[in-house]
Amino acid sequence: MLLELRGVRKRFGGITALRDGNLSVVPGEIHLLVGENGAGKSTLVKIAAGMVSPDGGEILWKGRRVRFERPADAAAEGIAMVHQESLLAPHLSVAENIFLGREPRLPLGLVNRRRMREAAARLIRQHRFPLDPDWRVERLNPAGKQLVEICRAIQHGSSLLIFDEPTSALSAAEAQEVFAIVRRLREQQMGVIYITHRLEELQAIGDRLTILRDGETVYSGPTGELSTQRIIQYMVGREVAAIYQRARQAPGEELLRVEGLTRKPVLEAISFSLRAGEILGLAGLVGAGRTELCRALFGLDPIEEGRIWVRGRLVRLRHPRDAVRAGLALIPEDRQRHGLALRLPLAWNVTAAALEQVSRFGFLRRLEERRQCRDYIGRLRIRAESPNQLASRLSGGNQQKVVIAKWLLRRASVFLFDEPARGIDVGAKAEVFQLMDELARAGAGILMVSSELPELLQVADRILVMRQGRLTAELPRGTTQEEIMRYAALQTQSALREPQNASGESIQQ
Amino acid sequence: MIQRLLPFLTLIVLFVVLSLASPYFLTYTNLSSVVRQTAVINVMALGMTIIIVAGGIDLSVGAVLAFSGLLGTMAMEAGLPIPYGIAIGLLCGLFWGTTNGLLITQLKINPFIVTLGTLGIARGLTLIISNGLPVHGIPQQFSFLGEGNLLGVPVVLWILVFCAGLTHLILEHTRMGRYAFAIGSNPEAAYYTGIPVAFHTTAVYAYSGLLCGLAGMIEASRLMTGQPTAGQGYELQVIAAVVIGGGSLRGGEGSVIGTLIGAFIMGLLSNGSDLLGISPYLQQAIIGAVIVLAVAVDELRKRKIA
Repeated sequence: MLLELRGVRKRFGGITALRDGNLSVVPGEIHLLVGENGAGKSTLVKIAAGMVSPDGGEILWKGRRVRFERPADAAAEGIAMVHQESLLAPHLSVAENIFLGREPRLPLGLVNRRRMREAAARLIRQHRFPLDPDWRVERLNPAGKQLVEICRAIQHGSSLLIFDEPTSALSAAEAQEVFAIVRRLREQQMGVIYITHRLEELQAIGDRLTILRDGETVYSGPTGELSTQRIIQYMVGREVAAIYQRARQAPGEELLRVEGLTRKPVLEAISFSLRAGEILGLAGLVGAGRTELCRALFGLDPIEEGRIWVRGRLVRLRHPRDAVRAGLALIPEDRQRHGLALRLPLAWNVTAAALEQVSRFGFLRRLEERRQCRDYIGRLRIRAESPNQLASRLSGGNQQKVVIAKWLLRRASVFLFDEPARGIDVGAKAEVFQLMDELARAGAGILMVSSELPELLQVADRILVMRQGRLTAELPRGTTQEEIMRYAALQTQSALREPQNASGESIQQ
Repeated sequence: MIQRLLPFLTLIVLFVVLSLASPYFLTYTNLSSVVRQTAVINVMALGMTIIIVAGGIDLSVGAVLAFSGLLGTMAMEAGLPIPYGIAIGLLCGLFWGTTNGLLITQLKINPFIVTLGTLGIARGLTLIISNGLPVHGIPQQFSFLGEGNLLGVPVVLWILVFCAGLTHLILEHTRMGRYAFAIGSNPEAAYYTGIPVAFHTTAVYAYSGLLCGLAGMIEASRLMTGQPTAGQGYELQVIAAVVIGGGSLRGGEGSVIGTLIGAFIMGLLSNGSDLLGISPYLQQAIIGAVIVLAVAVDELRKRKIA
């Protein structure tokens, strides 16, 4: 046994993060850790990595009782955490990032750059990573950055690696690359703890599985033993409607029509139309131009050629304001960065796009604002203490609902959802999809970008597939993942090494 | 909650302590002189509050004050009636504020750099225009603005109350104020929401410039000269008043009440030090310490709730 956590407890202020956390990892296994947001996954692995000290319970490392006071203590024993890419210094090179804070030294405290480069090159060669020690990190794609994080974690001979949602920002192909690397680490008899929200990853890479719910370990065993349905039940502790299925309905008037939309090299001659009551899926690999299409439609990027009609009216979109006026709404992929003012009250976020509706003679009617906001909190089942609660204190799913509420209040008619379910837990995901369904029923048109094919297949009425800035297929409801992938990656190769599109995007963008 | 009220409590404690420590403190003459002394900083701090709420900063306020005061008094010296002189001062402030706003939004340069630049430009132009010499030929009645009384209350206090009320109204009850919060809290999200970020950012700087023009005329009236060197270092006092009052340089936070309290805390500290015979050198150090303390307390409070 490499690592064993027994009955670990942790409270933060009045909140119990962990009440009975149990986890054991053996060498040469990939151990998946799943659970809803707030189930205690992060706290559990932070305790293992010495970043949080537990209130009670035991930590056994190679059979010996240990106490980690600091991350350095755990690192010295060989436990390393692969952080999210945001912890890299973008302007430094791959080698400099790998050895950040642990640079080989020369006398007088100078950095031995030559030795640092050599050590980085050796590490990269040893694991056959498609990296170069001299590349600047800011030019790497998310998968490349992940590799740098991994290098950083394993550079001093760790025997246990912890991954916290490594693939949440990656495309399917990039995720495959990360899986391959994780498997290689397993072959070298390392233990791997792998936190994920993507249940389809279970079969792909996991050996064993631990499920946490409300701070307790509720299941631990081999991955093959449970169906996805059972896993979800364990996670949420109740029966969930099997797979969310939308009822089909006849589409209404044309809400959005796009003809020959071009913005080289990311978008070329895109044409499609979206009708009221329809959810149109948009599939493709990362870099295929899906987000770029949303940005162009929302007036965030200039268009070189092409025309756009919204509800039959030809529109020019040079600014998001033009798009909002025309009745478009964008629910961005990175909602914390682009969708919300986190340090402002929830109510202010909800009314930000439609202040005209809660003001009279140019003055805000703050009571009316609160009333409207309460209304939407109720309708969207946003779990918040009050309309004055800061947006930063809501969970990911509830934050997403606030962004949706903002556009509902604005009475938008065309919704562009960019990865609507990313980073939110299973229960909230279902609610978001249900909201999208309700919107469509109420006569809105929805364009939904998603990297999760099962999601698209469940929710969308039609699916457009993009590759290298072009639409390559329009597939009906009821198509298969294989069919979509065929059009998304016609002549695909390793997404990491080979150029992926016309701009020569590869691991070094 | 206690921590939120801390600036207010500090002000009251300071008031009580000074009343007990000095027999001269609680006199009409002294208190009205505190009001007159802090009015200029106070008026400018109101504009700065909205700028800081919107995530910006304006270092040029002192230089704009001098520029406005100079041109306003020069107009009066040249024979224009007093209201016209005041109007010219206000327009000068508006001009510099708008210029700041346009440079920041159109060239997309950091406001710190832009206003550092306009500080230099405005101050330089003021010295060139005046040849470095103060303007003296001002009609006597002009002193009414800075030194006069209306219904037994200093005119500057009426002006301050009016400006504070107006700024509060804008910040808390209009779209412009709400957009300032949205832009200051997350400019990207504001843009993605369709808020006209550039327009409102410019408007915020323009409004602040207008108040600086007004402050310039008050200062000129108090000194009864147009001083090309007026207002040097005021930017720091103005920013300090906003920050002591709970404004955050990260944007998205700040209030008119807080800023008024902040400005009066600084005013009382300096007045009290004078009354108690504390050296002006030590005064500076005390005010510096108060700024750090105020922000530290505020940060601790936020960390607790976050």
